[in-house]
Amino acid sequence: MSEVVQPASLALAVSRPKTAPFDWRRAVPLLLAAPLLIYMLVFYALPVVAMLLRSVNDPTWTLANYATLFDDVVFQKTFWITLNTSVIVTLGCLILGYPVAMGLVRSKTMAPFILVIILLPFWTSVLVRSYAWMVLLGRHGLVNEALMALGMIDRPIRILNTTLATQIAMIHILLPYMILPIANALRQIDPSLIRAASGLGSTPFMTFRQVILPLSMSGVAAGTLLTFVLALGFYITPAMVGGPRDITLSMLIAQQVDQLNWAYAATLSAILLATALAILAVARKLPGVGNAFRTSMR
Amino acid sequence: MSKKTIDRRTTLGLIGAGLVAAPFIRPSFGQAAWPEQTTVPDALKGSGEVRIATFGGLMQEVQQKAYFEPFEKITGIKVRAFPGSDATKIKAMVDTGNVEWDMAQLSRGSIMNLQKRGDYFEKIDYDLVDAGVEKQYRFEYGLEMLVWAQVLAYRTDAFKGAVPSGWADFWDTKKFPGDRAMFGTNSGGWPEMEFALMAAGVPADKLYPIDIDKALASYSKIKTDVFKWWDTGAVPIQLLTDREVTMTTVWNGRMAALQAAGVPAAVSWNQGLLKRDAWGIPKGAKNKINAMKFAAYSTMAIPQARVCLGIPYGSVNAKSNEYIPAERLAVLPSAPDIKKQLVNYNYDWWIENREAAIPKFNKWLLS
Repeated sequence: MSEVVQPASLALAVSRPKTAPFDWRRAVPLLLAAPLLIYMLVFYALPVVAMLLRSVNDPTWTLANYATLFDDVVFQKTFWITLNTSVIVTLGCLILGYPVAMGLVRSKTMAPFILVIILLPFWTSVLVRSYAWMVLLGRHGLVNEALMALGMIDRPIRILNTTLATQIAMIHILLPYMILPIANALRQIDPSLIRAASGLGSTPFMTFRQVILPLSMSGVAAGTLLTFVLALGFYITPAMVGGPRDITLSMLIAQQVDQLNWAYAATLSAILLATALAILAVARKLPGVGNAFRTSMR
Repeated sequence: MSKKTIDRRTTLGLIGAGLVAAPFIRPSFGQAAWPEQTTVPDALKGSGEVRIATFGGLMQEVQQKAYFEPFEKITGIKVRAFPGSDATKIKAMVDTGNVEWDMAQLSRGSIMNLQKRGDYFEKIDYDLVDAGVEKQYRFEYGLEMLVWAQVLAYRTDAFKGAVPSGWADFWDTKKFPGDRAMFGTNSGGWPEMEFALMAAGVPADKLYPIDIDKALASYSKIKTDVFKWWDTGAVPIQLLTDREVTMTTVWNGRMAALQAAGVPAAVSWNQGLLKRDAWGIPKGAKNKINAMKFAAYSTMAIPQARVCLGIPYGSVNAKSNEYIPAERLAVLPSAPDIKKQLVNYNYDWWIENREAAIPKFNKWLLS
């Protein structure tokens, strides 16, 4: 009975946190993101799901497409070639990219110049860059002619259309993805730490080993992941400059789409996607890498 | 030195041409000499439009002048042409009920391969088709409309005057040294197992049914010399121009542009494969009646002859040769002297056996 006589306004005030259907302030970020989320859902997530479903329901519900992969020599070799290429390209990018990132952060005068050199090719299409490599690496291309003029070889060597050409071109295309996160991490190192190290008698090499390198690991991890995952999906470059056996998983998928084996192509796509997601998931659990994600998000 | 500069420029030109798929040189005859189709049966006249998917490039430009424009004038049906014809797109269009093309340039192989998986194409109305179209070019779900050849091409400056002829020579890297390129399985391609068999001594009339294992065994003999398995027609042309290979397989129409550009290269017709393109009408196409009319018009003797004058491909209409000058006829794959050197490609065998042949080829390639 006493509840009934309570002023209505008080009852409202008390129950408000429980019954209010929507806290508009908390919904604002979600609402702001809604157009993009809906866009991604309709034009990205749904098609991807529909495509992946093909691997298990075309023409009837079955896991047969996945089961056959266990004795599918073509898939296994292609998968191995893809992983192998990605590892080599990622290592190449790391070895070549780290010093450039150092230069980018350390040199005040050269930094804009280095940045332009990194970014100009970055803004050019992969197709055009792959064609450029065809001109450079061809049997009568610039590299062969330069080597001949220097007397290092007597007749043109085959560089174009080999695995090496794929690796060279992919490293070139992916380098910015390695350099920029590393440079970002290096930039966040407090310069006073480096001064303190040398003040305490550290040689430049020791400073690098014990101060700079550990503090830049977050950038290295982010760059390595980014490069590796992107390298997994490469298609145009190996198809254009690669050797006769450089068939990557993406090339096999494209071939199977053209051959109208869409269920098989979807199965291969699911494997490729799962591989990339698995690498990201494992990497996040590694000490220090989780931080890298947060650092690179800043 | 100056020679080298020119080579590189030619190279870049060809690469550019490959990029935009618009050949830079038009090896066509003057249009003044082209015959005109002045009358058509009333059954081919109509109204509205027809949307046609082609392979683009020079081919579409020639088609535009050879039969798209004349067809519009004489029948009153508007033609809208789109480059990028592709059987996979037709599958997607018909599957989703959103058919954007009324007709597409494909091959008997790709049409029948798709038709095997469902009902993707309309039947051709042969009552409309010209009597001159030979029987071998007609099939239920499509009408062949272009004859071409997949042949051996080589650099004439590579072998000190020796002339390769046939696949035994292609396989003989001692007599004809240098790298090779062949058609691979990317982009839906079907490997040239016929060539491998002929290299192993199988006579042209005994190729089909193809002995896949025997073909692969023969391929193994030049595996290390084939350093590119090409997937589109621009690639072998670029490889020949850049001197990356001394011998390759090509689509014959592409060679004319190369020779016109002054690259020392030639075709050997002997033991080449005679192939065809075909019109297919996607199931449920909005203007399928107009598409039938266009298919019939474009395979009449004069429209076919006009294509032959624009691009060195052959006609499916027996009466076309009357409208083609002798010196032009001599370079077409449908010319009697050339045709007898070529082997008829057996689409039916490939439609039946592709699914067995391609995985075997892929496995062989990666082993």
